[in-house]
Amino acid sequence: MKPLNLIALLLFLGGAVWALTRSDRSVREIQNAYYSAMAPFLKSGSDMETRARAFLEETRHSKELEAELEATRAQLERLRLIESRFRSLEYENEQLRHSLEFKKASKFDVVAARVIRRNPTTWWQTVEIDAGSKRGIGTQLAVLSNEGLVGKIDRIDNAGERSSVLLLTDEKCQVAARVEGSPEVGILSGQRGGFNGDPMLRLRFLSANAAVRPGQRVFTTGRGGIFQPNILLGTIDSVEKGALDSEALVRPSVNFSDLGAVFVVLSADS
Amino acid sequence: MIRYSVITILLLLAAFIVQQFLPAFTGLFDSRVLLVQLVFLCCAVTVGQPTMLTLAFIGGFFWDAQCALGPHGGDPEVYTQQVESLRFGYSILLFGGMGFLMQGIQPLFKQGKWQFSALLSGIAVFLYLSAEYAIINFVRGEFMLTRPTVLQMLYTSILTMIFSPVIFWMLFRVAKACHHSINPEAGRRRRAR
Repeated sequence: MKPLNLIALLLFLGGAVWALTRSDRSVREIQNAYYSAMAPFLKSGSDMETRARAFLEETRHSKELEAELEATRAQLERLRLIESRFRSLEYENEQLRHSLEFKKASKFDVVAARVIRRNPTTWWQTVEIDAGSKRGIGTQLAVLSNEGLVGKIDRIDNAGERSSVLLLTDEKCQVAARVEGSPEVGILSGQRGGFNGDPMLRLRFLSANAAVRPGQRVFTTGRGGIFQPNILLGTIDSVEKGALDSEALVRPSVNFSDLGAVFVVLSADS
Repeated sequence: MIRYSVITILLLLAAFIVQQFLPAFTGLFDSRVLLVQLVFLCCAVTVGQPTMLTLAFIGGFFWDAQCALGPHGGDPEVYTQQVESLRFGYSILLFGGMGFLMQGIQPLFKQGKWQFSALLSGIAVFLYLSAEYAIINFVRGEFMLTRPTVLQMLYTSILTMIFSPVIFWMLFRVAKACHHSINPEAGRRRRAR
């Protein structure tokens, strides 16, 4: 081997060892520097995408838009009626709770955000949203959609305008979960590259004779310090019983291939 | 030579930017074009070992900076079996391994047979993904390989390989602009004729 090649190889191995021995904190610093350098490109890229989408929306057939507008108006009227009924029920509920001295129902303080892109990785399941620390978002906060739990905040960019969300389908996003109508609790997580096309979740550490059946819904327990209780996670698809414990496959309630608007839970009173 | 090496580094950095906007093909098991790996592989066969190792370090380092996940968080009493992350920097070694593989057929490339390198780039991407998946399974402590996962790796390799002639064409143009020959033997043979 030529001396120059040998020196290069030794330097390369030294550099690799240096990188492999970085602490979590310094990895985060490196990541922040990387994404700060990328930020102008990512911003202009997503701006271009938004403009292109708006242009395509504009060029849609006007008749189609008119019909859509009519349907939306009808829907709005219907929802107004429902809302007025809901308000009176809410008031009635409040009065009854007050008279029975019931604990107040949980309320979420949320920030709405838009999914702007999926991170270009093969195995890791993360998306980027257009809200960051400027809107009060911090790491390890739960992210929801109207269908259920989406994941949690993994990283926030330096400018405070974007965050990265670790999806529930990634095996690093673990959630303490309970099965509706049963005392069974377990840990729910995804699995990288583990399922046949559909993203499925694994609910592990159920009791050996777990009385759970397909179709039962799975919710968060609220234990573990990250996710609030009673957030829908999915429904049981199948159950596999083992000698010591059981495991269930759970179909997520959220359609992860079509994520648009999400909500980051800033605080919740339980 | 130095100018060409610097440009290959810049090309690799540009690939990181373009990679951000390349979508996954949902109809093909979420496979995607791995542009960063492709640019690295194509460059690796055209440069000497020290430059290849520099490119491998930059590629692996930034790839991990892009993908690394944060700490688990949450109450360790509830989440008793936390999922271990892959160490930051493991991609540097994978990139290095792929680079050495590409340099193995450098004599053929120097003779002007770039088609073999294009084919090997697809094989190298498949091996890279397989190695990455094997490490994930090893860290998890449970091996699971399904047909869709194999197809995802296969389609990703094929899609990536399809673009290799474009990258080689770019590298030939860059080399010409830098007055540097990346396949000198082919040039000599052409002149002899």
